[in-house]
Amino acid sequence: MDKNSTEKQSGSFNCIESVYESPFCFVFKHSQEAVILLTRSRSGFAGFLLECPLRSTMNPTAAQAWHRRRNRAVLSRPWSSGTQFSPWQVQQMQVPAQFNGGSWKQKRIKFVRQFKSNVREWQTLLSLTGNFGGGVQSYFIFLRFLVILNFVSFLLIAGFVLIPGIVFRSVGIKPESSKADVSSGLVVFYEFFLDLLSGTGFMEYSYLFYGYYNNSVIVTSLVGSHFSYNIPLAYLLTAVFYFAFCLICIIVRMGKAARVAVTTGGNDVRSYSMIVFTGWDYGCLGSKATKLKQRNIYYRLQVDLEEERLKKHAASLTLCNKVTLHSLRVLMFFVAVGLIVATFLAIARATTFSQVVWILGLFYTYLPSIVITLGNFLVPLLCDQIALLEKYPPSATVVVALLRFELLGILLFTLWKQIMCHDSRDKCNLCHYNHEDYQCWETSVGQEMYKLTLFDLLVSIALLVLVEFPRSVLTTWCCCGLTQWVGRQEFVVPSNVLGLVYGQTVVWTGALFCPLLPLINTVKFVILFYCKKITLFYNCRPALRTFRSTTSAIFFLAVLLFGWILYFNVASLRIIDSASPNRIHPSFACGPFRSFFRMWKIVPESFSTLPEGARDFLFFIGSQAFSIPLFAISCVFMCYFIALASIYGKSVAMLRAQLKLVCVFFLFITEIIS
Amino acid sequence: MTFLTKQEILLAHRRFTELLEGDERNHPNPRVPMDVILTLTELKSNPFKKRICQVFSTSENRDGSLTFEDFLDLLSAFSDSATLEIKSHYAFRIFDFDDDGTLDYGDLEKLVNCLTGETADTRLSSEEMRQLISNILDESDIDKDGTVNLSEFQHVISRSPDFVSSFALFLFYPVFSVPNDAILHCFI
Repeated sequence: MDKNSTEKQSGSFNCIESVYESPFCFVFKHSQEAVILLTRSRSGFAGFLLECPLRSTMNPTAAQAWHRRRNRAVLSRPWSSGTQFSPWQVQQMQVPAQFNGGSWKQKRIKFVRQFKSNVREWQTLLSLTGNFGGGVQSYFIFLRFLVILNFVSFLLIAGFVLIPGIVFRSVGIKPESSKADVSSGLVVFYEFFLDLLSGTGFMEYSYLFYGYYNNSVIVTSLVGSHFSYNIPLAYLLTAVFYFAFCLICIIVRMGKAARVAVTTGGNDVRSYSMIVFTGWDYGCLGSKATKLKQRNIYYRLQVDLEEERLKKHAASLTLCNKVTLHSLRVLMFFVAVGLIVATFLAIARATTFSQVVWILGLFYTYLPSIVITLGNFLVPLLCDQIALLEKYPPSATVVVALLRFELLGILLFTLWKQIMCHDSRDKCNLCHYNHEDYQCWETSVGQEMYKLTLFDLLVSIALLVLVEFPRSVLTTWCCCGLTQWVGRQEFVVPSNVLGLVYGQTVVWTGALFCPLLPLINTVKFVILFYCKKITLFYNCRPALRTFRSTTSAIFFLAVLLFGWILYFNVASLRIIDSASPNRIHPSFACGPFRSFFRMWKIVPESFSTLPEGARDFLFFIGSQAFSIPLFAISCVFMCYFIALASIYGKSVAMLRAQLKLVCVFFLFITEIIS
Repeated sequence: MTFLTKQEILLAHRRFTELLEGDERNHPNPRVPMDVILTLTELKSNPFKKRICQVFSTSENRDGSLTFEDFLDLLSAFSDSATLEIKSHYAFRIFDFDDDGTLDYGDLEKLVNCLTGETADTRLSSEEMRQLISNILDESDIDKDGTVNLSEFQHVISRSPDFVSSFALFLFYPVFSVPNDAILHCFI
């Protein structure tokens, strides 16, 4: 190595001037004769020392033009690999100690470029594939999809419910009855904090919850034009459109993912010979990077071989073996059910306890959430162990861990029981619901969902800080046997994905009662994105079990859809328009629907205000004369598309077989010729 | 015929002359022994470094020593603009550890060991190795002779979309001396 250049370089860390920046490269002045070009590479940064006679004014545009002319070969290879730098070195290099002039324009350009590179990183998530494999990347893509979904839903709700509410309230239309007012004056700090975390107090009487929205219909006639805005109708229809929009997004995305999976043929693409012959990246530098890549390949091969062995084993079982295996599975199923029942009882007790005992300790209000989260951890863990016993292949473990949803359903059921006072009949005589304990039951339900969401986020962050960081620090610095056995944290994709789906399901359940919940969820998922990314790079080692990214994307969306179906049908439908005798009346004391028998009643009432033609048209669409032919035609189309899909599947398989034959023929011919 | 640009050749010459001792620089066609070539950062941690040197070496005893022309051939085969045929041809020769023109069981075993790492805890067990190699031969050995020849190898390679970009090596002028255990990181 050139000793002179090393000496020069070690001195030049401290004051490096940035000359030119773009999302792909940074140029720093090294000396009068040379600049350093840092480009992003697949595995880090690549550094190039370029000698060029720079002008003394260091005009950025001149340097840029010069670079473009002379170094086209270098700049046209943004993905070349280079020397690895340790993080602190690059951090130092990125911050210019002296900046030329530092004018506003340059700072703004730099900020915009940095923002664009962050956005690009959000779009491509490229840095993750190389290091941690496709499964982890699909988790982050799924998380990004959920962030966008929540944000767009929030925009929808804000546009139709929130902003009109704010506008009309500020214009001067007061609600008819107000709840106990917010305590003004000095508020003790811990009370404020408690209120923030549990959604009571000042937060309860705010746009966050259902109870704040009034049931007024605003009619103004201004300069001859007739403007009316029906807030309750807007609230209900926005909620319905929100659910429909989520459903459409999920289905469209599933279609795209399914198309990718079918065209790449699912499992066939990454066959063993492909991994072995083309798996190595020759530009990979540094012994640590090489070892990481070697370990990745090793784990991948092991996982594939193990799955193949299990499949062969399952196929080769005798009848007697099959019977024993199935009876073992049935036994384990009953054990799992027993666990669920036990957690159900625990949560039921916790919920009743928290509502009845009115000590305003944070612990009691959060008790259901704590029990649910504990259950969420323990039950999948136990079921994982059970599944290992039953010798399921690794991908099937996820199905068993779906029990998490059961726990959320249990919470809702116990809440329902209390609001409809199954225990003490006397409270429900007047209003058909427990009006003494719950003056505004929708707000209570919204509060529970809000608390669940917040608690989920706090627990994730707490886990990160209190468990994962110390664990990685311990395993790096302390070499005793116990820490090596525990090992570094592994980023397990299935349980993380289930956490996301659970969070989203909570939001769907609570969105009707807490309109700002999608916004809170967006912020929560963004925080979670960055936290998980940090923990991935600093704490985790590559996962022991790899996940196939094409099929996993479909699977995550299918689980999300399952959550949507469950909670839309169970929760919202029962509340909006339930025909069974178990229906519940909207609160008399608060909310947009206080004067209606059922929430859905507002829609027929607003029909009567529509013009004659529109009303007849809508009645016709709802009548049987229209819907039965529509149903029949939809069935016919569905059969047609199913037939088409099976034909395409068969032709894809046939084309693949033909391709193999052609290749054999071609090889045969070349061997004859040579 | 080379795929390198003029600048890349000049850079290669610079790096090559660095490897030479003082008196060798005056020699008309110096030959650098393999262990000196392997001190290059780009090759140092590559598990196939010895095979690469042996394949491109033109010395009589195939000891892996390279002249400047051999070095240029190496860089040319690994450059961006080399074609798929050239790369797959050289990849086949690199993987052919016993130089017999086909990839048989022993070659594949050594190949897998290079890929997964030479230490004891990263090797596949012999049972797994046997299963893996029989799967590989099932998939790629079309004429069922128990070995993979060049055409079968090229057929497998042609189905991979990113072979061309991964079978690439770039020479560069190292800007900062980096310790060997530099941590691989990407930033938010």
